Amino acid sequence: MALFRQTTWLLWKDLLLEMRRRESLVSMFFFAALLLFLFHFAFEFSTERAAEMAPGLLWLASIFTGTLGLTQLFQAERENHCLEALLLSPVDRGALYLSKFAFHLLLMCLMELFTFPLFGVLFNLDFWRLLPSLGLFAFVGTVGFCVLGTLFSAVTLKARARELLLPLILFPLMIPVILATIRGMEIILRTGELEEALPWLRLLIGFDVIFLTAAFLIFEWVIEA
Amino acid sequence: MRVVTRRLSKAYGFLWAVKDASLELHSGERVALFGPNGAGKTTLLKLLSALLSPSSGEIEIDGARLLPGSSGLRSAIGLLSPEGYLYESLTARENLRLFISLYARRREAREVAEALDQVKLSHWAEEYVSSLSTGMKYRLALAKWLLLEPKLLLLDEPYAVLDGAGVDLLEDYLERLCRGGGIVVMATHHVPAALSRCSRAIILDQGRIIFDEPRQEPWESFQRAFAAFLPRGR
Repeated sequence: MALFRQTTWLLWKDLLLEMRRRESLVSMFFFAALLLFLFHFAFEFSTERAAEMAPGLLWLASIFTGTLGLTQLFQAERENHCLEALLLSPVDRGALYLSKFAFHLLLMCLMELFTFPLFGVLFNLDFWRLLPSLGLFAFVGTVGFCVLGTLFSAVTLKARARELLLPLILFPLMIPVILATIRGMEIILRTGELEEALPWLRLLIGFDVIFLTAAFLIFEWVIEA
Repeated sequence: MRVVTRRLSKAYGFLWAVKDASLELHSGERVALFGPNGAGKTTLLKLLSALLSPSSGEIEIDGARLLPGSSGLRSAIGLLSPEGYLYESLTARENLRLFISLYARRREAREVAEALDQVKLSHWAEEYVSSLSTGMKYRLALAKWLLLEPKLLLLDEPYAVLDGAGVDLLEDYLERLCRGGGIVVMATHHVPAALSRCSRAIILDQGRIIFDEPRQEPWESFQRAFAAFLPRGR
């Protein structure tokens, strides 16, 4: 109960700060839209090739935009020594991790609610009836991104070139998530069926569960360092 | 409450900020911590608050070892610092509500209002912390500790940011805290103000404790020990 209460209060704090400052959400939205327009000008593909190309481009946009959000994730704590205030308090370090993970997941989901339809419009894709299945893959993949992204955002908190260091560390570790999400979405776009993509979904869920648990347990040492 | 440090040391690379600090603090003590710039006062306070992990040695509070993961012990420790430790884009009241919840204290809205009133920030309750002056932020931090009721309160240079009325508020609070069995450790350069109210004085120099005595009248040993750190001509 204490963990839930602390996580809720920390999440409330982050949501309130974001509503007032609008630093992460606005920059993520604009960056995602810009990327999609750039892809629209750079790539032209027929409806037949859409299944191959679309998932990769969508995920590139999500990951780059998500990384932008990760560099801002602990910004409030970096100001005015607020991270020390939290470390001084009896708050469970796991609650701090869970609140940041939940906050970033929420921002990513909001951003993807905007980018998916925009992508469909820009590339003239008829995938609206497949949106629930595609959305499921996107959500589980986004969870995996946020699990690792939150952890490494804390790891690189005091690094000087953290905007460069964070993607350098994070992207190689994201390969299983990227691969599974793109392959799964590709299968859904090609066949229209979720069942054939289930092995990739199981891989994603397994990855999310394992790394969420591991990140929650080791976060105390990461943040104290 | 009893706080014991045994050969507490903290190094930053090859530089020892605190070296072999052994102390025993008891309920009701008000300790003034003096020393020149870079003596290790702030480092010692951060070690006592578990914000820093010692390079060697240990800290015990009531027989339990203080470690970064000791959430129960951390709940009883407060640190009042000019660095603020408040969220700038939250209001004064929101900051207090947040920390009350994180410390699992049950405080009603009335008590929060009373704490703000005590530190003369009632009219600033709905203002963002970013719009407060440094002294007002310090008062707000004081209001936070009034509500959280720590048993060990560590203060870093409180007289540097507070005006006369603020100092009076602080002194009233510290007196109540010590009478209630709490321990106060204050690092400061304002020797007369701190010396007149402390029950014990410690002098740090280059990370080591060179003087540690309970209060005496007159206190010639302190004057001799501190003479080396006074400006020329005084």
